[in-house]
Amino acid sequence: MSYDLPIPRQGTHTKPFWDGTREGKLMLPRCQDCNRVHWYPRHICPNCHSTNLEWIEGSGEGRVHTYAVQHLVFGPWKEQAPFVTAYIDLNEGDRMLTVLRGVDPNKPEEIRIGARVRVEFEQANDDTFIPYWRVVED
Amino acid sequence: MPGALYKSAAIVGAAEANQIGFLKEPVTALQLHIEAIKNLSDQTGIPISRIDGVFSTGWTTELCEHLGIKPKYIDTTAVGGCSFELHVHHAMAAIHAGIIDVALISHGENGHSAGQLGGRGVSNYARGAGDLSPAHEMTMAYGLNSAPSNYAHAMVRHMHRYGTVREDYAHIAKVTRDWATLNPRAAMYSKDKHPFGGPITVQQVEESRLITWPLTILHCCMVTDHGGAVFVVSPKVAASLHTPPVWIAGAGESMGHGTMMEMDDFTKTSARLSAEAAYTMAGLGPADMEMAQVYDSFTITAAITVEMLGLAKPGEGHLFWKEGRAAPGGDFPINTNGGGLSFNHSGMYGMPLLIEAYRQLSGTAEDGVNGDPGKQTSARTCVVNGTGGSLSATGTLVLLADD
Ligand SMILES: [Zn+2]
Repeated sequence: MSYDLPIPRQGTHTKPFWDGTREGKLMLPRCQDCNRVHWYPRHICPNCHSTNLEWIEGSGEGRVHTYAVQHLVFGPWKEQAPFVTAYIDLNEGDRMLTVLRGVDPNKPEEIRIGARVRVEFEQANDDTFIPYWRVVED
Repeated sequence: MPGALYKSAAIVGAAEANQIGFLKEPVTALQLHIEAIKNLSDQTGIPISRIDGVFSTGWTTELCEHLGIKPKYIDTTAVGGCSFELHVHHAMAAIHAGIIDVALISHGENGHSAGQLGGRGVSNYARGAGDLSPAHEMTMAYGLNSAPSNYAHAMVRHMHRYGTVREDYAHIAKVTRDWATLNPRAAMYSKDKHPFGGPITVQQVEESRLITWPLTILHCCMVTDHGGAVFVVSPKVAASLHTPPVWIAGAGESMGHGTMMEMDDFTKTSARLSAEAAYTMAGLGPADMEMAQVYDSFTITAAITVEMLGLAKPGEGHLFWKEGRAAPGGDFPINTNGGGLSFNHSGMYGMPLLIEAYRQLSGTAEDGVNGDPGKQTSARTCVVNGTGGSLSATGTLVLLADD
């Protein structure tokens, strides 16, 4: 089945992230001076402004910070509506946007802020795997 | 004690394009700009040739060329709908520095007409940082492509944190519509003006169509056509005019993030910081304010904003509307023109905030229609707050009526 949703154009300095997704790893940028993980990948640490950055393999686990259910949608995602979008608090720190899986968009009140989530990767084309997060049991 | 820029400039006029709202005959953004500027010049008696500073969201070159003016100060700050509050801040600084005397701040946006005309249209909203920006790269896959698709996440977090329910915020839409029914220029003034115009109930707000849960369509602003302009001038120029000045006592600006993923706390905006700067410059605080004009892109935006401005405790912003304080006849009027929810919202709403604040504090807010009490209030102080992008940037002004 072909993937007909928007596919990011990969940047040069985000290559380790996309390389990781092909192996099922969630690679995250970390500052070697303040040890904090940040997301999205920067050219400089947004916390201490060091440029001494490295990539680490994240746990691929986190919690739902907040969410919404998309009903009126434009563009390629229109066919998927309603679907749930969420911001994920990564276990390593900072936050990531996703389309949340394992939840019922027609029962938004049942989705829980703080719910445990795990990342999974869907192949979009030859060299792009897109991270999605799924609610898992506590 | 007020800061150095306290009352160093005044707004001395505020005008709009000849027609605004859901226009049947499509208009261009440039036409909306020029009509408002011409009306502003006529209103104040300031000739267009007298303008020496031009402030707009990216339109400055085209406006100067179109008007044949050669400004001494040029500003194209475009950080979303709040840009116009930032323009006022920048204009007063340029006036205080002695660089200019007459600043034009201009807005024209054909959010409604653009669909019929094609080409350059709507707002600066949500273009993202563009290709090869990592923020865009890491968010573009997930189907968020409108303002409500983003803002709803803040509403869910705000409800979670403070134990509020959606109906609490629905009062904001209902009360703001009540104001619109006192304003013949409001798009939702009446059923005659728009099929969905006229008064609404909280229940109707709750039961209207879902856009992004929990936001129903009546929790969301409209997309219309609007043009507007104000003059910010030096005290000396203000003294020479027949229009009443409204004094800029304080101004501040800040930003929290660009993309919503970078928002530290989904229940707070940078209005905390921009308001603190504005109050400090004014030597005044929230308790000195008698009314507010706040950007209501969504009901949640208005609720968070009054909390950030120090007018309400965190989580209690919606009570201004729910308890009727913000309503016509209430003790603290808010969004007296009908707001972005029911007056007009072309994509960027910062200019209508300025225009309504000027009208209220200059006593020209269109008294009484059809025997209604009208929307003119007796307030002498007003705090204005614009919010741009995805709850990203803010500009706050503290305005005072002339003594
Ligand atoms: Zn660091």
